[in-house]
Amino acid sequence: MKDFLINLDRRFIFIFVAIGVILPALTTFPLPIKPTANVRAIYNTIEEVAAQNGTVLISFDYGPGSMPEIQPMTLSVLRHCFSKKVKVVGMCLWPQAVGLVQQALDTTSKEFDAQYGTDYVFLGYKTGMHSLVINMGRDFQGTYPQDLQGNNTADLAVTQRIFGLKDFDYVICLAAGNTPDGVWIPYGQERYKFKFGIGCTAVMAPDQFPYLQSGQMNGLMGGLAGAAEYEKLINTPGTATDGMRPQSVVHVIIILFILLGNTIYFLYDRKKGGAK
Amino acid sequence: MTRDQIFFITSLFVFFVINIFLLATGSLSPDWAGLGTFIAAGITLSLYSFLYKDNPLFKFTENLYVGVAAAYTMNQVWYTVLLADVINPTFDLNGQTGGNHEWLLIFPVLLGLFMLTQLASDNISWLSRIAFAFVVGLGAGLAIPRTIAANVLAQMQPSMQPITADLAGFNLVVILVGVVTVLIYFFYSVEHTGAVGVASKVGIWFLMISFGASFGYTIMARLSLLIGRAGFLLEDWLNLQLPLF
Repeated sequence: MKDFLINLDRRFIFIFVAIGVILPALTTFPLPIKPTANVRAIYNTIEEVAAQNGTVLISFDYGPGSMPEIQPMTLSVLRHCFSKKVKVVGMCLWPQAVGLVQQALDTTSKEFDAQYGTDYVFLGYKTGMHSLVINMGRDFQGTYPQDLQGNNTADLAVTQRIFGLKDFDYVICLAAGNTPDGVWIPYGQERYKFKFGIGCTAVMAPDQFPYLQSGQMNGLMGGLAGAAEYEKLINTPGTATDGMRPQSVVHVIIILFILLGNTIYFLYDRKKGGAK
Repeated sequence: MTRDQIFFITSLFVFFVINIFLLATGSLSPDWAGLGTFIAAGITLSLYSFLYKDNPLFKFTENLYVGVAAAYTMNQVWYTVLLADVINPTFDLNGQTGGNHEWLLIFPVLLGLFMLTQLASDNISWLSRIAFAFVVGLGAGLAIPRTIAANVLAQMQPSMQPITADLAGFNLVVILVGVVTVLIYFFYSVEHTGAVGVASKVGIWFLMISFGASFGYTIMARLSLLIGRAGFLLEDWLNLQLPLF
């Protein structure tokens, strides 16, 4: 038993994690979701933009690999904007995001009868990263003369009065990579001083907190939990809210495994220098 | 035949039997959407088969993903960058420039082509140095001031606020102690003994707490992906009407 526990096959952990994901799917039990101040800040800023009849720029910088975490954020933020008649300009710094965003725009625009060109515009992917953001700050319509469909941005109702990044009332980056702290903050926010909020994968979230403290961003949605909090704020439960149940159960399983591993280590194996 | 080979052949057989059953019962539609679900389920299970052991199915799927992602990226770059930003304005193919050909765009295109000369013979590969020199010069020129402004100066400012007798002030003290002790831990010019040693140990604690927070968030991220795929397999592929998904 002692040797079995010390050299526990990692596949046992995989089986427990799989059970932890599947079992909560077979039943429903309520779990409270309380929106945190950082998520609420993004919600409140969009409410303020709605009161000004303003425009939001959303940079979608993710791909299929991070879809379960970021797509619920995309859907929630778009639903919030469209329900409050906030104009949306979408763009991608990652080419893999284009199809996912198009899908999300089609779904949410139909739900709220949002019209292309007057309520939202999708610019698609453009290469350049930092130079693209700098150019957008200087001359938005020069950087994006046309949208993804080939319409002139100078003629579209949403973008015809946008000449630079400062003309957006809020910029949101939904990201799975380093675009918020590697591109948008140093080359965009720090230079053009616009209001900036982000939604990111949970892996990235701890690295973003210093930018909240410095005021370079005003809100942060981190991972599936952040997405679930936003779903709670807009009162539209979705896949993120549903995912919180298995998420919580597996967290408990992992905490128990960590405790078990450390207990075994301290009881049997400490002097030997760890499991072989 | 080894045990692993029998296991994988049986798994493949079971997968195909399940799909035939789903088709027969109408749970999987015999159209493009159904084919997409079938392929996506197969690819998901192939990737998760790595949890048992490395195997040819996993390798095949891994390489397939790289190939599909590269092709999709090429497609996006062709339509939204090369065609829209280079070919159309240079040759005025869609009337975007109103008859004015933007010939100046040829210079950045040339620089880009110079990069590819690295793949060609030694006689012309030196041309790539011009392109790399441009990229390095531009990159450094843009990055250095921006990084210092955004990641150093702007980050120092909130750590230097007056300390107040409330929760915000307490947070500020914690951050200040954390910054100073972690900097001391990474300062190797002085032996870590006495007061420096104590400060360095406190620094290690701050680092450990930070690693723990990162690890916790990483678990949450990876689980979210697993939950997403489990939802797809149970709901979209097996068509089980579960309360959760």
